[in-house]
Amino acid sequence: MNVAGDVDVQHRLGRALAHFLAAYEARPELVAEQRGWSPVIALAASDAAARVVVSLDDGRVARLDGAPAPATLQITGGLDTLCDVLMLKRDPNEPYLFGELLVVGAEADFVRLDYIASRLCPR
Amino acid sequence: MPALVAPRQRRGLRLLFQKVAANPRCAREQLTARPPGPVALVATGCGTAIACVCALGLGEIERRLGGVWSVLAVACAALLCAALARALGRLSTVVPSGAGLLAFLSRGLGRRWALLLMLPYVALVLALVAVEARIVGAVSARLLPIPPAVGALAFLVITWAVARSGVRPGLRAQAAATGVLVIGFSLLAVAGVIAAARRPDFIAHLVPAAPAPLALLGGIGQALFLFMGFELVTNQVEIVRAPGAIASALVRSVRLLTVFYVLVALGFSTLAAPQLDVAPGSDGDWLTPQLGLGAAAGSPLGAAAIGILCLLASFTSFNGALLTLSRLVAAFAAQGVLPRRLAHMDARRMVPSHALAALLAAVVALTFLLSTRALIDAVLAGSAAAAGLVWAAAIAVRERAPFAEPGRPRRHRIAALALASLFVVFGLGALAEGLKADHPARVEIAHAH
Repeated sequence: MNVAGDVDVQHRLGRALAHFLAAYEARPELVAEQRGWSPVIALAASDAAARVVVSLDDGRVARLDGAPAPATLQITGGLDTLCDVLMLKRDPNEPYLFGELLVVGAEADFVRLDYIASRLCPR
Repeated sequence: MPALVAPRQRRGLRLLFQKVAANPRCAREQLTARPPGPVALVATGCGTAIACVCALGLGEIERRLGGVWSVLAVACAALLCAALARALGRLSTVVPSGAGLLAFLSRGLGRRWALLLMLPYVALVLALVAVEARIVGAVSARLLPIPPAVGALAFLVITWAVARSGVRPGLRAQAAATGVLVIGFSLLAVAGVIAAARRPDFIAHLVPAAPAPLALLGGIGQALFLFMGFELVTNQVEIVRAPGAIASALVRSVRLLTVFYVLVALGFSTLAAPQLDVAPGSDGDWLTPQLGLGAAAGSPLGAAAIGILCLLASFTSFNGALLTLSRLVAAFAAQGVLPRRLAHMDARRMVPSHALAALLAAVVALTFLLSTRALIDAVLAGSAAAAGLVWAAAIAVRERAPFAEPGRPRRHRIAALALASLFVVFGLGALAEGLKADHPARVEIAHAH
């Protein structure tokens, strides 16, 4: 068992998610565009013991981890891939198309998440 | 209509059409609904495979082989596709990705090979949409007093406008359209065979002289084209949440398609030769052999009904192709592979509007460029070859990491190699037959209109 390693990867993924959410909340017009969107999004690493959950309510970030509702959109991928996407270094659509990001849930949710990431991603 | 990524069907619909992307709350509500059941999945698999252009392909097989030989070609292609279905079930279980074939091939062969294999397939999907538009033009010219070009253009623009608005056909609409189309065509085919059985030349039509081996090989390759698209049910794995259901739907789709195509092939074998060949002045009969099937059943009303169903099938096919290809174009544009402008996403409708416009322009241009029967035959043959190549790669990938089980016996690898080779050989056979210079019907479409 590698508890320290687990804590480390969990912390890394959590930090990446926080970075993504901070960038999102810094764009009020983008948040406003998502009104009516209330998913519970889980991101899990396929190659490490790391999982983070975030829920949105009416487009605004409502809760991090410990979300009571089951995830409506589950995204799985390598830890590096997930962190790169959340740190806005990579467009999520690219690893998705090549089978590195796996999604369970409605396509519309993933398309919207991809749209948000593409708006935040510096080109 | 074969498409790179299947039309993303929606589940738990109360309405036949819904505005999913435009309204985030709609998407949220879908998640609480039941995932599609086995019948809906089989309808999805068959729906993406069956398009008007398939009738054209089947008409070509009938013209080259005829009668029971056409049935034999369909049966051989079905056997290969049944084996492919099992392999795809495994791929979908290990990598349950909505990106389907591109994801499987990327994981098994690497991105570069996956792209190289998929690019001809994608390009030919666009060309097939253009052929579909020409067929719609011919069908609408039969139903309405309009020139074929106007019907084709209207079909493309209306379908593009629907996709652009964010409205997508629901799963029930797609399943209902597929069901009615399959049942309608099957009944007409059976009625055609029964009616023809009284004719003295029935046996001669049904059991013509044996074709040359190369023609049979090409016919089997062309029959592969008929199944093109069934594999795209794997794209539903994200909403089904059960890869086992996808594997089962793949196998059942192949079975249903086999029965359907065998019946229609038999029905076509009862048609008089001119209905499958060029008939100057007959306004493009060869483009729409399925309408001849309706007439052969002795019912002009039936032919009209089939014509309307054909329009519906074409609409759902092109709509699905537009929605999914536009997303692929936008993704490549976002990475700088294509002009970045094409990556633009409409924030309200959640559709890549610039990519959609570019695809419309490309398909309109192709619709007018593919103006000869030789070119259309080449598209059909090329599609069969591209599908054969991609499917061969899928069979091969199933025996590689991460898809092969640890300790899998070597005999499976040998069998997979043989199967993949057959897909390539039959695909090349279709290409060789489709491009043959001494084609008996090298006549400009314009002559037929």
